Amino acid sequence: MKIQDIVIRAGRSLKQAKARTILTSLAIAVGAFTITLSLAAGAGGRSYTDQIVSSNTDSKELVVAVQPPKSQQGPQKYSGATSSSVFSTALGSTEVLTQTDINRIQKVTNVVSVSPNYNPQIKYITRLGQDKYIVSISTFSASVTLKYASGSTSGDLADNEIILTEDYIKALGFSSNQASIGQTVDIVADKLSAPISAPESQTFTYTIKAVSSASGLAFRAQSSLLVSNSSAKKLYDYINLGTRGYDHFAIASVMVNNANNAQSVKDKLTNMGYRAQTAADILGVVNTFINVLQGILLGFGALAILTSVFGIINTQYISVLERTQQIGLMKALGMRRRDVGRLFKLEAAWIGFLGGAIGSGLALIVGTVANPFISKALDIGDIRLLIFNPISMVIVVVGLIIVSVSAGILPARKAAKLNPIEALRTE
Amino acid sequence: MIEVLGVTKTYGKKDNAFKALCDVSFTMPSGASVAILGKSGSGKSTLMHVMSGLDRPETGKVIIDGKNIFTLKQKDIDKFRSRTMSFIFQSFFVQANESCYDNVSLPLEIADVSKSRRKSKIETALKAVELFDKKKSRARDLSGGQKQRLAVARAIVNNPQILFADEPTGNLDSVTGGVIENLLFDYNRKNKVTLVLVTHDPDLAARCDVQIHIKDGVIDSIKGNN
Repeated sequence: MKIQDIVIRAGRSLKQAKARTILTSLAIAVGAFTITLSLAAGAGGRSYTDQIVSSNTDSKELVVAVQPPKSQQGPQKYSGATSSSVFSTALGSTEVLTQTDINRIQKVTNVVSVSPNYNPQIKYITRLGQDKYIVSISTFSASVTLKYASGSTSGDLADNEIILTEDYIKALGFSSNQASIGQTVDIVADKLSAPISAPESQTFTYTIKAVSSASGLAFRAQSSLLVSNSSAKKLYDYINLGTRGYDHFAIASVMVNNANNAQSVKDKLTNMGYRAQTAADILGVVNTFINVLQGILLGFGALAILTSVFGIINTQYISVLERTQQIGLMKALGMRRRDVGRLFKLEAAWIGFLGGAIGSGLALIVGTVANPFISKALDIGDIRLLIFNPISMVIVVVGLIIVSVSAGILPARKAAKLNPIEALRTE
Repeated sequence: MIEVLGVTKTYGKKDNAFKALCDVSFTMPSGASVAILGKSGSGKSTLMHVMSGLDRPETGKVIIDGKNIFTLKQKDIDKFRSRTMSFIFQSFFVQANESCYDNVSLPLEIADVSKSRRKSKIETALKAVELFDKKKSRARDLSGGQKQRLAVARAIVNNPQILFADEPTGNLDSVTGGVIENLLFDYNRKNKVTLVLVTHDPDLAARCDVQIHIKDGVIDSIKGNN
């Protein structure tokens, strides 16, 4: 018997038991739904983090810190050499980079520039006749993609230029984003080394170069205002000069001349006792997290499919019992055992196909409908967190067909082994 | 020509052993109509199963056209059966959910007849049993007599050499039964197809060329009409 004819006959017998076929395939559909969604979420998550990392970091950039001593148990022993360069963070104390370190790193081959992460702790931002607001200042990097609500930058920022966020435009009383371009804002900073009895502060004036809008991809743009590296250094110097922490940095960013050299520079820095992270490393850490979550979801999907396998076996056994007579007739007419077995395996394949198609189809519809809501709820703009890859959907359906056929093997064997004489005696 | 030589078939084991056929031998010429007569439990159905290769006897041969079918592998017996034999049963065994067309198509599909050649064969067979206008109807919507006519169409569609009919009129009233009988004997005569009728009805058996009486698994008598 030709495979094509068996496929048609298998489909026809399923059509005759519609309710049972649909119920059995719905069990598989649950698994297919879960698996398709988790694959979509994984793909979406990875693409999202990929975009975040690539728009916030540069593949030529390394983030460098001092390597914490290995297998350190309990508090670190005091020694004169380390005392001045310990930097306290919420997580504990770590050693920090000093100017000596920066000079050392600068000499490594392929390194173009080393800039410590100036993080000037300014007092407030204001504008003539407006309220004062707390703000954080970060360094602008031309390699980081920003979404501009108004204005733009070509290349680097000049000194005394600043990029504001939309929130501050409103707070500082500008009528519109457009109207703020070219206007000035004042940043006031305290000199930390000044005695408490005679506090000293200075006002720095900046021209608004551009306004960045909230983007689902940006880490910095949402809350920090951006100034050029030298402006940040100027602020930092004013605030910190004369304090113990001056010229001690938790991290520095190292630019290499070519993205392909990032790894070799990282290896060298690691040998020198620094902890360096490339853009790929940061991506890797986030992706590991996504993969674990996706794995858990996939596990649930697999569990649902395992359950549905027993459903298929049960349904197909009942089907064989019900159609004993038909099987007997087909065998009497000369149908080979192998073809009888195939008929039932193909019925199982149809169930698997239906279940897979229903499940992944539903997942696609639900995902497409839910995508804007998810993006809105997570406040990530127009980024889609569920990405459906047609190839992986096809693989899911084909995989389920294979699983269903394997589930159909036992009932199919029973059908193939049926004695036609016994079967035809059934009245 | 079909030769049955020393066929013995036992069902059950040891204490429960039951000899359905005991050293049965006879010959039937090709194109003849042969009735196998006997009461229920006499072994007449078993004889039909053995002759068609559905059942394997412990001993004995069934030689069809000079070939002992039991020397073949089961796979090849099945193939042989699909090309040369067909069956009509007392309880029709038509597939109630399928259309008449699909019911008749089954033996052709099993015998690997290409799709293009099936259509004309099926239509010819349906015309022969006067069911052509019902070809799209489901078999469950047919009357008993129509169902058996459908079964006849299914049996003749692949031009078999041997047609086995197991109590073909057993479930029908005398009028519809008569129609089926006429269909079978006409087909037998026109196409020189060997017709093997298994029955307990002496009137039906009397219409056949040869009557083989079987009793308790042994041949009681063989009578010929000519």
